[in-house]
Amino acid sequence: MLLKETIRERIIIMDGATGTELQKKGMPAGVCPEIWCLDNPDIIGAVHAGYRDAGADIVTASTFGANRIKLNQYGTYDVVRVNRDLALLARGAVGAGILVGGDIGSTGRFVRPFGDLKFEDAIEIYKEQVRGLLEGGVDLFLIETMMDIQETRAALIAVKELTDTFTSVTMTYEAHGRTLNGTDPVTALITLQSLGADAVGCNCSTGPEEMLELIEAMKPWATVPLVAKPNAGMPELIDGATIFTMGADTFASFGTRFASRGANLLGGCCGTTPEYIRKLKEAVAGVKPVQPMRASISAVSSARSSVILEGKRTLSIVGERINPTGKKALQQELREGRMSLVRTMAKEQEHRGASLLDVNVGMPGIDEKETMLGAIGNLSVTSDLPLVIDSSNIDVIEAALRLYPGRALINSISGERARIEKLLPVAAKYGAMFILLPLAGGDIPETAEKRKKIIEDVFEKAAALGFTKSDIVIDGLVMAASSDFKAPMETLKTIEWSSDVFKANTIVGLSNVSFGMPERTWLNAAFLAMAVSKGLTMAIANPGVEELMNAKLAGDVLAGRDRDASRYIHHFSHVSPKVKQKEASSHKTPQDEVSQAILEGNREDIEQRLSGAMDSGMDAQKIVDGIMIPAITEVGALFDRKEYFLPQLIASAETMKKGIAFLEPWLRDTTLNKKPKGRIIIATVQGDVHDIGKNIVALMLRNHGFEVVDLGKNVPAETIIQEAVRLKPSVIGLSALMTTTMAGMKEIVELAQLKSLDCRFMVGGAVVTKAYAESIGAHYARDGVEAVRVAETLTA
Amino acid sequence: MQVQIFSSIHIPLPLEAIYRRLGYKSGITKIDERKREEIERHIEYAASLVCLKGAGLRVPLERVEPTQVFLATGADIRSAKLAGFLKGCREVLFVGSTAGSAVMDAIRGDIEGDDMTRGVVIDAVASEMTDAALDWIMGLFNRLLARENARLTRARFSAGYGDFLLENQKMMYDMLELGRIGVTINENCILIPEKSVTAVVGIHA
Repeated sequence: MLLKETIRERIIIMDGATGTELQKKGMPAGVCPEIWCLDNPDIIGAVHAGYRDAGADIVTASTFGANRIKLNQYGTYDVVRVNRDLALLARGAVGAGILVGGDIGSTGRFVRPFGDLKFEDAIEIYKEQVRGLLEGGVDLFLIETMMDIQETRAALIAVKELTDTFTSVTMTYEAHGRTLNGTDPVTALITLQSLGADAVGCNCSTGPEEMLELIEAMKPWATVPLVAKPNAGMPELIDGATIFTMGADTFASFGTRFASRGANLLGGCCGTTPEYIRKLKEAVAGVKPVQPMRASISAVSSARSSVILEGKRTLSIVGERINPTGKKALQQELREGRMSLVRTMAKEQEHRGASLLDVNVGMPGIDEKETMLGAIGNLSVTSDLPLVIDSSNIDVIEAALRLYPGRALINSISGERARIEKLLPVAAKYGAMFILLPLAGGDIPETAEKRKKIIEDVFEKAAALGFTKSDIVIDGLVMAASSDFKAPMETLKTIEWSSDVFKANTIVGLSNVSFGMPERTWLNAAFLAMAVSKGLTMAIANPGVEELMNAKLAGDVLAGRDRDASRYIHHFSHVSPKVKQKEASSHKTPQDEVSQAILEGNREDIEQRLSGAMDSGMDAQKIVDGIMIPAITEVGALFDRKEYFLPQLIASAETMKKGIAFLEPWLRDTTLNKKPKGRIIIATVQGDVHDIGKNIVALMLRNHGFEVVDLGKNVPAETIIQEAVRLKPSVIGLSALMTTTMAGMKEIVELAQLKSLDCRFMVGGAVVTKAYAESIGAHYARDGVEAVRVAETLTA
Repeated sequence: MQVQIFSSIHIPLPLEAIYRRLGYKSGITKIDERKREEIERHIEYAASLVCLKGAGLRVPLERVEPTQVFLATGADIRSAKLAGFLKGCREVLFVGSTAGSAVMDAIRGDIEGDDMTRGVVIDAVASEMTDAALDWIMGLFNRLLARENARLTRARFSAGYGDFLLENQKMMYDMLELGRIGVTINENCILIPEKSVTAVVGIHA
């Protein structure tokens, strides 16, 4: 059977579960399944034959875990032989006329940057398995049940570097619709199909109902056939055993739904049997498969997200900050091999609205390749944004594309001979998109006409390697307006032609236009808006520049890309919430506003509201006693009733603290004459480094007029007692979070008794109970609010 | 037996658990829109600081006696509660996770500085995410164990509970090679950064 042709004609039926079938047929727990199959060829042969007889087009050799890491755990080291023999065994069991797939599963180890297995080691481990399977004569490869996109890429690269055999890649998704490592199905699809997978999909993890949604999500963006191999329903734990409860008829009834949603290859995973496959085959007999809806796609991806660059969509900003040019701190850090600024810049740009991140680490005095690989590793775990690999060094780009756990955009490939001859094949191998820079022959083409010619020449060469216009982003080539006032218009013409005639995405390095000019932001923003009107789809810029991002938002509205202006409205409705607030509170008295600020934990406005109350003629002490104390007491009551939770309690307490500090100059005279409610020493006991709870209690006590001496955390018993002797507190407050340190409280109480200290003890903390407190002769406080009540009782 | 290191664990934000940890009671606690926005901003900030890493190690059990657990490595743990928990298991899985030091610096800065509200929110986010990272590691091992027709116990057991003394954390720290993910342990057997945890899980055939 010629698989690629047959897929276009009908739904391909794959086999069902092997593992659960072997377990039913006596494979004991704890053995190596692959070795057990070799030792029991009749049993695994019967499983394969059963699926053949059920009508499967493809049976899967039982080599799922036949990689070096897994086999070595069972003392088996001849990986090639095991794979070859299991493939031959499958072939022997089913005979000719049916395809045998070489099964490749996870090593169980996570690959860098997500785990400790080196990426190249992972590729070598998989190559060893692939060689064995090729020796065994498999017709296709089935990389399946993968959880980590980087390990999946390693397996796919291993196959593709050894053979052009058809390769299906399926990942397994959790209930929340992502792999265990956070990859969503569309992102996995974009990464894997661009890297050369011949079919992509999902297997295991869910039943058919849930898997339908994953297939449906992938189909619009798929350039390859889709694969669905669900379990026989969601697993249930019954009497300690994992049971798949969906029957064969129900399972098979999903067949036509899978086909109509776009799955082209169907099979089963855990819990399915030949009976399920027979009924599935019957259900989809004669059903016409839905072909991939597109031959190519403009999209890039990271390990955990993707950006589709198609259709009428808002302008994408490529964050330009990760570039050492003109940034001394970044240069220094890269020289020292550190990446903290790179990570910070990534997070900031992501937060500011960048859709992609440009990464350029080229500078004298460093190993650019190693630095680039370090940056990719760091950024892949720090940011979800896809990366733009920016280097003038072809080797650096090649190494980066190999490691990058997604589909990258290359910045850039020009019409220069070396870039075309060396870089285009590299981009093709890793399925990357690239920015086409219309430069050639060492000259900068001044006119749009000259640029069009270079664009067409480069594209012709790229098309010969399989690239389409979807894979390309045309650089409009922005030159400084200060050196040639006609230059910006030529760029706009290039963008307009690329967008309307050539039909490709376009990009500009925005800030070049204002080079050498004062107040550059306005030129950049104006040029951005003009370029958007000509069809610009991407801009390399600093998303931290507010004017620029606002111009982008406005441009998206005016160019009809922000439907109903919803993004624009959403953005600006969040920028000035204070306006609403002021309107809402305009009818309240100044006293009400102070009270409300404390109740709401409004630290920003408390000083202004206190000023208002004092301007209305109220005395500071009266504000404290008559407004603030009742308000914070009300907060305590709300917290007790669970109507407030901890952040609200703390915000109110902090507002109170800030308010008291503000009033202090006016309170000073009265405070001098007013004694605190009592002095309290507070500490976290020795051995315990947890002090948040203790700090909250201290804040609450101070707000209620107690003098608090905070000795900190991990405080030895002797220090607490020494301070108590010196300061003569009314109460000693002790906190402990662990059972092991809680015992320290008892020691302190006993030591105080020995020293005949005249004070009471209040204790609290996660593990402390009222009973324990009473057993050591202390008083218990559950939280900061109760601590105030207890302290007031103890000092009354 | 080889420790598996997870250099970067990505989990869905455990929002419900974070709110619950902060004392939120569904249907009772009332938060106005402004406060909710503030808290969610803090949660988002905290999540950006958390850098989850983890480790897992399967160790066969030699035998389990009523008050003592004997590992195939030759080590043993005295704890009747743990022994009861591991009854019927053939192996144990040691797991550990950390939220990293950046988030601890932020908590300390806020609590000792002037934003205790944000500090307590970050603290809750870091605690829950560190715990969720252990769930993630257990989920991974459960997947890997399925093909062996084995599974993990649903619960996990940490040193410091009952008679499973905190001192055992040192052994777990060493076995899991937690130094490789930036965790240290002090003389009181407390893991540093503070938002770091270890646990024992049973493996049933």
